Amino acid sequence: MSGRRNGLVSGIAWIGGSAAAFLAAACLLPWIGSGSIGVDRVFAKAAPDYPIFVELRVSRTLLGLLAGGALSLTGALFQSMLRDSLAEPYTLGVSAGAALGAVLTLAFDFDRLLGVPATWVGALSGAAIVMLIVASAAWKSGRLSGVRLLLSGIALNSICSAFILLTGSVVRERHSISITQWLLGNVDSVSYPAVSGFALVVLVTSVVVISQARGWNLMAVGESWAASRGADVKRLTIAGYCCGCLLTAGAIALTGPIGFVGLIVPHLVRSRISPDNRILMPCSLLLGGVLLAGCDTIGRVVLAPAELPAGAVMAVVGGPYLVWLVRRRF
Amino acid sequence: MNEPLLDLRNVSFGYPGRQVLESVQFAAESGEFIVLIGVNGAGKSTLLDIVAGLRTPHAGEVRLSGRSLLAWPAGERARRISHLPQGTKQELPFTVEQVVLMGRYAYADRWFESDTDRTYAEDAMLRMDCLAFRDRLFSTLSGGEQQRVLLAACIAQCPAVMLLDEPSTYLDIHQQIHCFTTLAELAREGALCIAVTHDLNLALAHCARVLVLDGGKLEADLPIGAAARDSNWLARLSPLLRMAQTPDGKPWVLYR
Repeated sequence: MSGRRNGLVSGIAWIGGSAAAFLAAACLLPWIGSGSIGVDRVFAKAAPDYPIFVELRVSRTLLGLLAGGALSLTGALFQSMLRDSLAEPYTLGVSAGAALGAVLTLAFDFDRLLGVPATWVGALSGAAIVMLIVASAAWKSGRLSGVRLLLSGIALNSICSAFILLTGSVVRERHSISITQWLLGNVDSVSYPAVSGFALVVLVTSVVVISQARGWNLMAVGESWAASRGADVKRLTIAGYCCGCLLTAGAIALTGPIGFVGLIVPHLVRSRISPDNRILMPCSLLLGGVLLAGCDTIGRVVLAPAELPAGAVMAVVGGPYLVWLVRRRF
Repeated sequence: MNEPLLDLRNVSFGYPGRQVLESVQFAAESGEFIVLIGVNGAGKSTLLDIVAGLRTPHAGEVRLSGRSLLAWPAGERARRISHLPQGTKQELPFTVEQVVLMGRYAYADRWFESDTDRTYAEDAMLRMDCLAFRDRLFSTLSGGEQQRVLLAACIAQCPAVMLLDEPSTYLDIHQQIHCFTTLAELAREGALCIAVTHDLNLALAHCARVLVLDGGKLEADLPIGAAARDSNWLARLSPLLRMAQTPDGKPWVLYR
């Protein structure tokens, strides 16, 4: 029996390794960027190194780690819950919905709504509305159809993108610039209260999601299969939609629409480490963060002193991967 | 009063404009091996879904051990009833053993399965003849091998009631016989097995009772001996069928 458990032991080792990579990224990536930062000067709290390090580098690294993790965990979640290997916030249009919601709040100059940053409220409403529309369009005689899901996701993606462009062109110039900047998908210029609020959201939702990992395994086989093994399918589905929307909306509100991380990381982990969501989900969360923070670091180094948005770097990496995946699968 | 293990009382189900099941009524005890027979669209899968708790009947009631099926919490129900669905997705990313261990969902209360769960899964894989490829990916197996893995998961669940929707689909002839022999064995060990099948001879050779569904109604409920003597129910399946006997006296269905 002990030999049989090796799979689990190596799975847990992978989670440990991913956590180590996450911590290493958090500690090391802030030091990398255009213009070197002196370690001694940071520890001596000397200007300008110390403020640059703390105000810019650390906060954006943390945001990259959290947003990448959130999007990648959501990808893993949607792929199991909807039984579709191409499901992720971006392909389902949920990211675009969140983006449209956030853009509208930018355009109407809302700053705070209900005590939280307005873009969060806008993004969450947008994500939830799109998720509902896409899921109900894909619902056919008691089950979700994968093709319908992706087709309606693509449709919603286009509709939301169109409205984002419309919004950008009708508002005044000041707003239009801030919208364009935000749309490129960047992780800079974020405040610590926003990052810590988002960290709390990610922490709570990922605990909720990952603690149901065995249920997601059953859901990946089928809803009837899950129900007759003893899972509460309705509760799982509602929890999955809510957590997926929260994670996506939080990430999108702070970083702009970033795609592919929810596709690349879960697929790599599934094929290289384990398809078991108990391993897959924590690894996706941690490694997704490392990937996005890494892309952000690359973006600020390759054309220094100019900075590339993390979303653009991710698309350059993710686009070819998607093509490769499609080529291999179909 | 001692109620039967499974008791269906006037179960009806339908969609607007189409009645699928009409007042289906039967009771079954542990140790029985029952086949559910009928033409395509007769309502067999729907009936099995209702007994599994996957659909709620529009009228009537299913009772399990004297208690309405809907009153059982999902986990406790899953420790008593397992259901093999039809048409499971074939590109599952899991290994064979991971799929079989899913049958232990309702038992494992911890994050990972215990050694007991693994022992049950191993026994089930042994029974369904899939232990040899326990580490292979489900998606790389043939249709028949996949079906055996799903059956093993149902067996690992140690249910009192096994509901099997066409369990012998995709199986080669030897594995079909093996599958029905195993189900008969499970019934002898005390499980109630209800299988939907189109293979009448496989059914007649192994099961003890025949239920015939036609147009959503339970038109025949016969012990195997009576089913062999009174073959009127065959006409409900096809006009081309005729009851005959093998050289050693067992019932055998021929078709013209």
